[in-house]
Amino acid sequence: MKTRNKVLKIILVAAMILLSLFFLFPVVWMIANSFKPDAEITADMNSVQAFIPPVPSENFFDNYVSVLTNTNFLLYMGNTLLYAALLIVLGIIVNGLAGYALAKIKFPFSDKWLLIIMMLMIIPSETIITINYLFIAKMGLLNTIFGYILPMIVNPFNIFLFRQVFVSLPDDVYEAAQLDHCGPVKYFFTMVLPMSKTVVATVSVFTFLNVWNDYLWPSLVFTSSDLLTAQIGLNAITANENTTMGQTLAAITLVTIPVIIIYSLFSKQIVEGVVSTGSKEG
Amino acid sequence: MSYIQLKGLCKKYPNATKNSVTDFNLDIEEKEFIAFVGPSGCGKSTTLRMIAGFEEISGGELYIDGKKMNNVLPRDRGIAMVFQNYALYPHMTVEKNISYGLKNMKVPSDEIKRKTDWAIDILGLEEYRNRKPKNLSGGQRQRVALGRAIVKDSKVFLMDEPLSNLDAKLRVSMRNEISKLHRQLGSTTIYVTHDQVEAMTMADRIVIMKDGVVQQVGKPMELYDHPVNKFVAGFIGSPQMNFFDVTIEGNTVKFADGKQMPLSENIINQLGGKTSGLILGIRGEDIKLDAQNLEVYGEGKQSAVVENTEVMGNENNLYFTFGGAVAVARVSKYEISQVGDSIDFTFVPSKIHFFDKETEECLF
Repeated sequence: MKTRNKVLKIILVAAMILLSLFFLFPVVWMIANSFKPDAEITADMNSVQAFIPPVPSENFFDNYVSVLTNTNFLLYMGNTLLYAALLIVLGIIVNGLAGYALAKIKFPFSDKWLLIIMMLMIIPSETIITINYLFIAKMGLLNTIFGYILPMIVNPFNIFLFRQVFVSLPDDVYEAAQLDHCGPVKYFFTMVLPMSKTVVATVSVFTFLNVWNDYLWPSLVFTSSDLLTAQIGLNAITANENTTMGQTLAAITLVTIPVIIIYSLFSKQIVEGVVSTGSKEG
Repeated sequence: MSYIQLKGLCKKYPNATKNSVTDFNLDIEEKEFIAFVGPSGCGKSTTLRMIAGFEEISGGELYIDGKKMNNVLPRDRGIAMVFQNYALYPHMTVEKNISYGLKNMKVPSDEIKRKTDWAIDILGLEEYRNRKPKNLSGGQRQRVALGRAIVKDSKVFLMDEPLSNLDAKLRVSMRNEISKLHRQLGSTTIYVTHDQVEAMTMADRIVIMKDGVVQQVGKPMELYDHPVNKFVAGFIGSPQMNFFDVTIEGNTVKFADGKQMPLSENIINQLGGKTSGLILGIRGEDIKLDAQNLEVYGEGKQSAVVENTEVMGNENNLYFTFGGAVAVARVSKYEISQVGDSIDFTFVPSKIHFFDKETEECLF
């Protein structure tokens, strides 16, 4: 029985490694070729060399240097980080407070509100994007940071995530805090959020990935090149006929790096987020 | 005027068919240690939470230090509370847990330090000062909860089953510490527990509750020696009081199994002519097996066969069937009996209680 289990385990691990390699092939190809000039990329295309980066030389980072110095790509990445940071902070406050109200405060029809919020989770964001656009346009907020982040602050998925965690917080801690002269707002920021670090991290990670990977909404809101996000910027760079294939791959690699870092650092929170709600956002 | 007054306090939850607490009247003096005791669901914690301000008062009035508190916020009632599950702030160290309230009250920082150091010292928490609650044992956590309560100079301490999560040994030592602390601080304390031993050993007065109604209020020994009804008699004391269905024939008590025991005319007269529908109650330690008592109270000598024994170390509990019920006698450790042994015993007549079977009220 033990030997059989061992063999099964080996087969399973081997299958998972093969599957990982299958998914990693394009990524490895992209990274390897991002260091090569176009001629070398074309020459290596049909050989195993296509997956092997060149030997480091003084021209090794040329594509990256070119992308970062000749285009506004660094600015776009900075913009995206700023939007993500703003949305993380505002999202935690707004969605966290809503989740707390649903979890702990008794108000009329609170269970119905929760149901409505859960129903909102199944509506794809693409279906309301036109309404959002018209709304932001009417408010004169097109091509502004506020116009971009405003419709993204409230997120039913994050409200639900917060609610699920807050509902299990012990009530007697709130009662003890009341006797310690801690008001409800202070309690939320100094007790509830620190006691729920995991969900705060999960929401932050999801928000970051959402903003970082978002293409459609920023492409509608922003027209000024100074405000573009990394994904839009990437499209602008790759669409430019003067951009080489190596530069394109370098730009894509740069866009991918933060996502890989976030996934590797916060995989636990991402899994917990998926598990605790039984669904995946987006 | 009493320091805390509960006047006809009632609690009824929305959609509930009956009150959780009904007409609770009590005057608590300053520096008094009061214990609310009763089985689960009797309303003792609800009453405490009404005093704290965490439960709305459905009816009646609550006064603390002469001020009506019905609609006053918990933080403005001048109370400190220790919770059953400690309710410590998990992300704060011991020191921060204790000083948090003082900081919110805008107490000067040197005063906060002095008071926090004092609490940490008095509760023996110095080596745990920088630890978080998850790295503390149950007893240490409870001491932190006590520390958080004592630094605020509150005149009223409310304790909601603070020792129920601790093991038996720790419970005894914490019991001692809380009593010591109460004497040291001179605060008025209301202590909720379902453990009658805690109540008996710590409280100046005990309030016994059942189904939301106060059954009896009194000093521990008053309740033990003079219970007002069968519930109080059974709740206070371990092992619980023995109860037998009896009738009176002349000067003799007749038990359900037909056994008889003569009683003095003086005792019979106190029943006021009631001869049936009676319950006789006697505590285990008032059932005597020793030769001296058998000689003195030999008239009422009875026999039974021991069915079970509990060796407690300092004493033994002997279980046997008598009078149609299982009875327990609490005897000294030197009176050794084995299961199956036949024993002779007698009741100490002056320690016998009679209860009305219908109302369960104590007749004497």
